[in-house]
Amino acid sequence: MWPELKERIAETLKTVVPLIALACLFQITLVHAPLEVFLQFLAGSVLVIVGMLLLFIGVDLGILPMGRFIGAELPRKGSIALIVGVAFVLGFATTVAEPDVLVLATQVDRISGGEIKGSLVLYVTALGVGFFVALAMARVLFGVSMRLLLTISFAAVLLLSFAAPPDFIPLAYDAGSVTTGVLTAPVVIALAVGITSVLAGRSSVADGFGLLGFASIGPILAILLMGIWLR
Amino acid sequence: MAVLPLAALFLVVQVFLLDLPRKDIRNILMGSLLAAAGLFLFLLGVHIGFMPFGQAIGEALGTLSYKWLLLPAGVALGFITTWSEPAVRILADQVDEASNGSIPRLMVLTAICVGVSVWTGLGLLRIGYEIPLLYLLVPGYLAVIVIMWFSDKDFVAIAVDAGGVATGPLANTFLLALALGTASSIGGQNPIVNGLGFVALIALAPITSLMVLGLLVRWKESRMEI
Repeated sequence: MWPELKERIAETLKTVVPLIALACLFQITLVHAPLEVFLQFLAGSVLVIVGMLLLFIGVDLGILPMGRFIGAELPRKGSIALIVGVAFVLGFATTVAEPDVLVLATQVDRISGGEIKGSLVLYVTALGVGFFVALAMARVLFGVSMRLLLTISFAAVLLLSFAAPPDFIPLAYDAGSVTTGVLTAPVVIALAVGITSVLAGRSSVADGFGLLGFASIGPILAILLMGIWLR
Repeated sequence: MAVLPLAALFLVVQVFLLDLPRKDIRNILMGSLLAAAGLFLFLLGVHIGFMPFGQAIGEALGTLSYKWLLLPAGVALGFITTWSEPAVRILADQVDEASNGSIPRLMVLTAICVGVSVWTGLGLLRIGYEIPLLYLLVPGYLAVIVIMWFSDKDFVAIAVDAGGVATGPLANTFLLALALGTASSIGGQNPIVNGLGFVALIALAPITSLMVLGLLVRWKESRMEI
């Protein structure tokens, strides 16, 4: 246990220390922030290191196996509809629970002058995520080209960007990032890799990855459409 | 908080489909709890420490007399911040594992960091010169649509996921606070409008860099075949 833990601590330090060092360098040379802010930064850094250590241990022990077990077992026991259904629920449920999405919802509420309710944004975003995760999963199962699906999705994003009211655009693109939380990401990745590993004739890399990225297109389209619908 | 629906979903699937031994279930639930606690501490540290300091750095950058200096500052900050982003590590590890080491984790990690660093530099420059967001986003997405048809299939898939993980908790707080800080000290037009959308560039960044890497890999392979 101890040597393994030691290795983890070393790994965590290697991950965070460069950022802390760079921030210190900026403080000395350019920023000269008040001592209070700088000390608060150092205190925060300690929390970040401890938190990241626990996070990495927990992800390896629980989060990744969770995705892997579900992913490896689903195609064996369930139908295509069930797999796509689980993908939808996974996308929907984790988005509704993501605190960042609530922040986003209040922002939309404000920009639209209360015309678009925060709770509506929350559910539309979650529906967008669920739909796109399910779509990406169906793509793997039916063997549709990922490039084709991506081209269509990106083209739709671009076209809608020109049609949507300007103040919705930054918000929509930012919304794409709120869905991929630190805990959701490993589950989705492990689940997709698990499913493709038991399906015949699928490449574990080309088909196992990409699900997460599709999930973030959903909310972009959802918010852009909401903006167009409002005007 | 995202851990609750995950654990609930897992338990439902476990009851109806899986029949895992108790030891596995205990490990999974304990691991999820540990990860959630770790994430809580991590986010707490980021919010009390990194966010205010990121804003301080941004404000200092905005007052620089030479605006082009925003580019190297953004390049350095973008690279190092992504280096620390936890989900980026997890993705790189998973790629290494799924490809049996043929796509090594360091390669994925470096490609993501390089992508974000270039786009963070451009993003800060954009704020400095008050260029509209779409002037960067539209060419970026168009380039991606074209490049992906020539890039290696594996790398296209990884690239799409990389766009999701690069916008993790550090990018969403530290880099965003930095961008908003820069926008507010530069003054000019509405700082919120000018600073928002920064995260969108970070989401696009690793997609471009990994697809270009896939292009290079494919090109090298075809040369070796001849």
